[in-house]
Amino acid sequence: MASPRIIMKLTVTATRKESGDVLVIDLKHTRKPLLPPFEPGSHVDVHLPDGKVRQYSLCGDPTDLSRYTIAVKREEVGRGGSAWIHEAVAAGCMLPVSAPRNHFPLAQREGPTVLLAGGIGITPILAMARALERQGKTCELHYFTRSRALAPLLSVIERELDCNTVWLHFDDEPETRQDLETLLSTRSSDAQLYYCGPPGFMAAVDRATAHWPEGTVHFEAFQPPEQDRAPPEPFTITLRDGTVVPVAADTSALAALRAAGVLLMASCENGVCGTCECGILEGQPIHRDAVLSKDARTHRFIPCISRAAGVLRLDL
Amino acid sequence: MTWQGTLLHIHVAPAASYEMEELTEAQLVAGRGIVGDRYYLGTGTYSAKPDVREVTLIEVEVLEAIAQGEPRIPGFKAMLAPEDHRRNLTTRGVPLGHLVGTRFRIGETVLRAARMNFPCKYIEQLLGIPGLYEGLLNRSGLNCAIEVGGVIRPGDPILPIDG
Repeated sequence: MASPRIIMKLTVTATRKESGDVLVIDLKHTRKPLLPPFEPGSHVDVHLPDGKVRQYSLCGDPTDLSRYTIAVKREEVGRGGSAWIHEAVAAGCMLPVSAPRNHFPLAQREGPTVLLAGGIGITPILAMARALERQGKTCELHYFTRSRALAPLLSVIERELDCNTVWLHFDDEPETRQDLETLLSTRSSDAQLYYCGPPGFMAAVDRATAHWPEGTVHFEAFQPPEQDRAPPEPFTITLRDGTVVPVAADTSALAALRAAGVLLMASCENGVCGTCECGILEGQPIHRDAVLSKDARTHRFIPCISRAAGVLRLDL
Repeated sequence: MTWQGTLLHIHVAPAASYEMEELTEAQLVAGRGIVGDRYYLGTGTYSAKPDVREVTLIEVEVLEAIAQGEPRIPGFKAMLAPEDHRRNLTTRGVPLGHLVGTRFRIGETVLRAARMNFPCKYIEQLLGIPGLYEGLLNRSGLNCAIEVGGVIRPGDPILPIDG
């Protein structure tokens, strides 16, 4: 069951610039004293005026529900959402923001936790590190960025986290630089690993943890993996009632389903949020999302971005 | 049929999926909807088929039954606050299920009951309450058109119009 998707009108109470071209935004509910509760790893959808929706991790304190805090890195080559936020959002603005959802929860397990963050991937990891520290659990955080000057939220980390549990790795400092393969080659057998960062970082950690046991490695991606960029081919979807929905090469399955009258909610339309997830009854999906687990890929489908070969029968 | 009911709450949402906001006073516009609401603004999510949905109503008695888990079969139980159910008007003492095809008054306005509301599966995802769709089947309220507009407020009497 998906979690709540209700959209709230939130008021921006404060913004501040942080290193790494990051804008930190504090939000409160326009009418209510408290916001819905969230766990570390949760994200919200921010609805932009042009109808785009962007996901941002909540990096504030889950025990203080009077406000949410998000950190938005300006992506010059992105899809335009972060640039708008940097230019237009200031204290007093109203932003439509969804209730939080968590695809990246901390498993309640014994044993040490290893947190890896690349760049702005620090946002969910920071909330996790705070929570683990408060619970007195053993945790180590490795933060990878290109340089000290470009490290998002570095001042927050240095101010709020126990320096004995944090390792900073800067590509341009030979004394702190760290190879992921080497770091992950030695691990305690009961460790849980959580990681978040840009696509190259995600791919590197994925390779370095290929031999880790099932269920010990957890991640959240901001963008779908940069694989399978073959040009899309047309395919066909059939519904439970037998309706046939052709999907043209230049159309998403989500758009084709909606045009056929199927009411499907969607949010990121980029394969990372899981809002439009549905079930597969039969067929060969070509998964291009970054949200389904290996297990879920056998029977679930993300129609905003994934495709199929031939005929795909969906549980709709 | 003789009955007299009361308007308990007025809620609107600026667009589909937005939180409902409670109003202490609302302007009903004939042929359109409630000023500020998604049906009035044309920003809702609903079936593309032509339909009457200027104002939607639900009985507080249904919400009370759902809170109790009544009826015992299937026994669906949930606390649905008036801002959760996504109908515009919450009523007490109004037999909504009997009004299709008739007209009735709320305060100074006149509504025409068009059809029973049918719940949407999407509300389960929106609120994160599994089973709510089935829980609302056959009791999710009434869709109405506005024949005579005006201002309504919680506490306004709701009365049938004879003939």
